[in-house]
Amino acid sequence: MVTSQAPRLDGVLAALADPTRRKIVERLLAAGELSVGDVAAPFAISTQAISRHLQVLERAGLIERRVERQWRYVRMRGDALEPVETWLSRQRRYWTAALDRLETTAAAQTPKRRKS
Amino acid sequence: MNEDATLRLERLIPMEPEPLFALWTDPVQLVKWWAPDGYEASVATLDARPAGRWRVVMRKRDGSEVATSGVYRIVDRPRRLCFTWAWESAGGVRGHETEVTVAFEAAPGGTRLVLIQQRFDNKQARDGHGAGWSAAFDRLAACPRMKFGSLR
Repeated sequence: MVTSQAPRLDGVLAALADPTRRKIVERLLAAGELSVGDVAAPFAISTQAISRHLQVLERAGLIERRVERQWRYVRMRGDALEPVETWLSRQRRYWTAALDRLETTAAAQTPKRRKS
Repeated sequence: MNEDATLRLERLIPMEPEPLFALWTDPVQLVKWWAPDGYEASVATLDARPAGRWRVVMRKRDGSEVATSGVYRIVDRPRRLCFTWAWESAGGVRGHETEVTVAFEAAPGGTRLVLIQQRFDNKQARDGHGAGWSAAFDRLAACPRMKFGSLR
């Protein structure tokens, strides 16, 4: 069984850029775990095409597979969104602090006005 | 546009729009506030006009560096500034690119500054991925972690 790699930001974003893969992810988020057949059921595309989409999601680290007898199951990885969350919080931290510094710098350069 | 926003920050800055705009576009002024504490910023490139490039290197005392860089899209002095944005790692690898828009609006006591950072660059939005991707992501992000945890 292939062990999927830990998710990376660019891979996650690229994988989610496709509407079919987004739908698959939404279904998995709602259902928890699904057999590959159940994943494919609502889509009017070949099982092969679904397989390819699942492969992309797996490589991106968004989903993981489990095999039980002849059945193959997929589910979201627990850490699927971690890179996105980490990245988002990093951006927020940076800009919040940067605007603090901007405010301080601006205040230091602006002549103080007397309060009326 | 707000639908795609990653981040929206708003501040009242005690400075008129014109000099405040210069704090963003004048290399001498920008380095005063751009880098986090413990880092020193230096402007490698700053060509504040549409399609002009910018790159700011931030150096720690131990010599390690990170940089931010991008391309200006809108330079509407002193009202609006829009540029692409990405972190560069030590190896010079550019991370995921986003778009930052800063609006400057004169307000009592200074300038109301609104910063919006979007997850996507315009190219993705133009390709039609933007809105759908964003909506899906918001649903994903809204999903409590418990949900993942309960699968374990």
